[in-house]
Amino acid sequence: MNIAVGGDPVVETSTDDLLRLEAVDKRFAGTHALRSIHLDFRQGEVHAIVGENGAGKSTLIKILTGAYVRTGGRILWKGREVALTTPKEAHALGIHAVHQEMMLCPHLTVAANLFLGEEKTSNGFMRSSEMSRAAQRAIDDLGFDLDARSLLSSLSIGRQQLVAAARAALHGSSLIIFDEPTAYLTRGETDQLFALIRRLKASGVTVVYISHRMEEIFELGDRVSVLRDGNLVSTRNICDTNPAQLVTDMVARPVGDAHHKEAIEIGEPLLSVEGLSGQGFHDISLSVRRGEIVGLFGLIGSGRSEFARALFGRTRVSAGTINKSGAPLDARNEADAIRAGIALIPESRRHEGLCMGLDVRSNLSLANLPQLTRFGFIDSSQERRDAADWIKTLRIVTATDRIPVGHLSGGNQQKVLIGKWLYHGADLYIFDEPTVGVDVATKAEIYRTIAGLLRQGAGVIVISSYLPEVYDLADTLHVFRRGTIVTTHRFKAASQDEILANAIGT
Amino acid sequence: MSAISLESRRSLFNTAMLLNLTLFLLLGAMWLGLALSTDTFWTANNITNLFRQTALLSVIAIGQTVVIITGGIDLSVGAMVGFSSVIVSLMLKAGYPIPVAVGATLALGAIVGLYHGFAIRRLGIPPFIITLSSLSVLTGAGLLLTGGSTISGLPPEFTSFSRGSFAGVPNLFWMVIVVAVPIYLLLNHTAVGRHIFAVGSSPEAARLSGINVDRTVYLVYAISSTLAALTGVLTASRISIGLATTGMGWELQSIAASVIGGASLFGAIGGVAGSLLGAMALTTINNGANLLNVNPFWQQIITGLLIVVIVYFDQLRRTRR
Repeated sequence: MNIAVGGDPVVETSTDDLLRLEAVDKRFAGTHALRSIHLDFRQGEVHAIVGENGAGKSTLIKILTGAYVRTGGRILWKGREVALTTPKEAHALGIHAVHQEMMLCPHLTVAANLFLGEEKTSNGFMRSSEMSRAAQRAIDDLGFDLDARSLLSSLSIGRQQLVAAARAALHGSSLIIFDEPTAYLTRGETDQLFALIRRLKASGVTVVYISHRMEEIFELGDRVSVLRDGNLVSTRNICDTNPAQLVTDMVARPVGDAHHKEAIEIGEPLLSVEGLSGQGFHDISLSVRRGEIVGLFGLIGSGRSEFARALFGRTRVSAGTINKSGAPLDARNEADAIRAGIALIPESRRHEGLCMGLDVRSNLSLANLPQLTRFGFIDSSQERRDAADWIKTLRIVTATDRIPVGHLSGGNQQKVLIGKWLYHGADLYIFDEPTVGVDVATKAEIYRTIAGLLRQGAGVIVISSYLPEVYDLADTLHVFRRGTIVTTHRFKAASQDEILANAIGT
Repeated sequence: MSAISLESRRSLFNTAMLLNLTLFLLLGAMWLGLALSTDTFWTANNITNLFRQTALLSVIAIGQTVVIITGGIDLSVGAMVGFSSVIVSLMLKAGYPIPVAVGATLALGAIVGLYHGFAIRRLGIPPFIITLSSLSVLTGAGLLLTGGSTISGLPPEFTSFSRGSFAGVPNLFWMVIVVAVPIYLLLNHTAVGRHIFAVGSSPEAARLSGINVDRTVYLVYAISSTLAALTGVLTASRISIGLATTGMGWELQSIAASVIGGASLFGAIGGVAGSLLGAMALTTINNGANLLNVNPFWQQIITGLLIVVIVYFDQLRRTRR
């Protein structure tokens, strides 16, 4: 196995565009994820793509790799129009992606992973030692410090990422997408990866490089495109731009979309946290007052969600104190936290928030069963009336309350999830990414619901990796990076550029 | 968001009802066919016999369904039937009064179930593995206690129970009612039942709603094992002996009854009515094959194929969503 470059022998075409997107569009029920994207990827360039979470980067990757089917526009591969609607077709063209989440088999060896699906056999038997030797040669050739015989799961996440990169490089790719490849890499591993990327580029492979890290983009990239709210904002040559300009492109927003914060009086302290540490976060001190929205902003993995989980009793804290309404709180489990008046609206509706197979009514009452139960039996007529009330109050669009909640749209699911906690009642609400996968109209309703809670004297923590959201909502905004709070801003006391720079760490 | 389509108007609950109705009609067709093609099927004797056989399978199938709704499985119920028939027989032979012997056997069942819950939640052993282990342990323990032989000479007051009837209905079938009604109420009308469905649908969402997932899992395995122990006691009464291997293969029968009755091995779907219909369908196939002089080995093949057909239709319904 040698490094195959560019799939087939390079055919000179009139244009050096390898892949060209024309007016590519993607809509999901309720959201418009990509809006008429025009983008070209040239042969042998490193093309960086930046944008905030939710800007459409993941959707773009999934369209390029055939995981999603676009809802509009044309895709040209070497000047010819292609369908590009299945992962198989993407592979056949030579498009590969190295994802944030591993797409390899952790229980197999490095060699087995490199040859996965293309095992060398004779008479039906695998030629393991031959594959092992070939894999080792290829790895040495790439300059990676890896043993082909080691189990993938015995390697660090960073080294596993290198194996994934090697696999893409060895499979005769002509376009390789790296999605946040250095998130888990050490400096040494990053250098090895960068050497590989330069080498791929030199041999004519096109690299699409997605990262939050400005220094990497300026170190590796030839051109950079900025996505924002599903639109392509700009494509520039790296040598003609600077990080500040890119950040401005990333956060500038259309005026009509601005959210008007209601003026609500801030009251007495509700929650104070001192020096809290635990799995994934350390030394967090903050307070929440009645009527106040405290925003926690940070990139994925910066510790904000981990902190919220510990606050809710989901994981144990190793140090620090929590004071709730003047009394110390030691939540050993979720039930303790709920009794203390805390409600968590988690990030993943599908896995943590709702029971998708159960109906709307059951999901609404799930946290509130003790109040609905007499001698162990659920008062089902009361449950039905209450469900009807919440469906009406929150304007949940559903034919009846007996429909499995998994059949509703994302926005309506989110309303059911919020309704579950409003129904139960609490005085501290933690919203983790409250508007992910939610359409604009529902978003506004959710913000109004939050304002209603504040007026009733509740305190709210909003966690988001989408800056405009917390920027417009939070009275106090804490920026998380690497497990701790790096800066704290009062409402709109800093510019979005500054806050984003805090979170990225440039 | 646009108007809700007709497709989603048909909720899971209605489809479950539809499945039960289909099963009911299928059962009716089988009964009609057998009544017309044999002159032995539609006799008081055979029908009573059919109900007695169904009764035993129904009781363990109901327990199995409760476990399956949480997304688990209990492979130990067959072995538990044999083991508990041995325990109750040994105690009766040793002179313990019937209520004491029966009570102790049921308590032993509950303890085994709690142990399964402990192993699953605290030790992190998957349900399949821990109950497979108990299948082996309980069968071995039963054989060890009896030296592999049967225990006979049980008191007549004990053995007459399963042959008797009350208000014209066989006692064994009364036992089904005694089990089915409370479990139906538990699953559909209590908070505990709602917790069982929630844990099967999404343990994490249940947890974050303040539900005690550990307690729910302990409970369902305790229910399943206790009902298996009850079935063991009833079996000992019915065949007048204690025998360690008497429930061999019943775990598969109970899973089959549960699944044919509409329970999903992925959790959160299933019910008491379906389990009863499933048990009845399996027993009817069994009974009918005997009456029609079909080679009994065919019964197992037919049961297996029926499971494939029913679960395939269930899968179709799911993926079409």
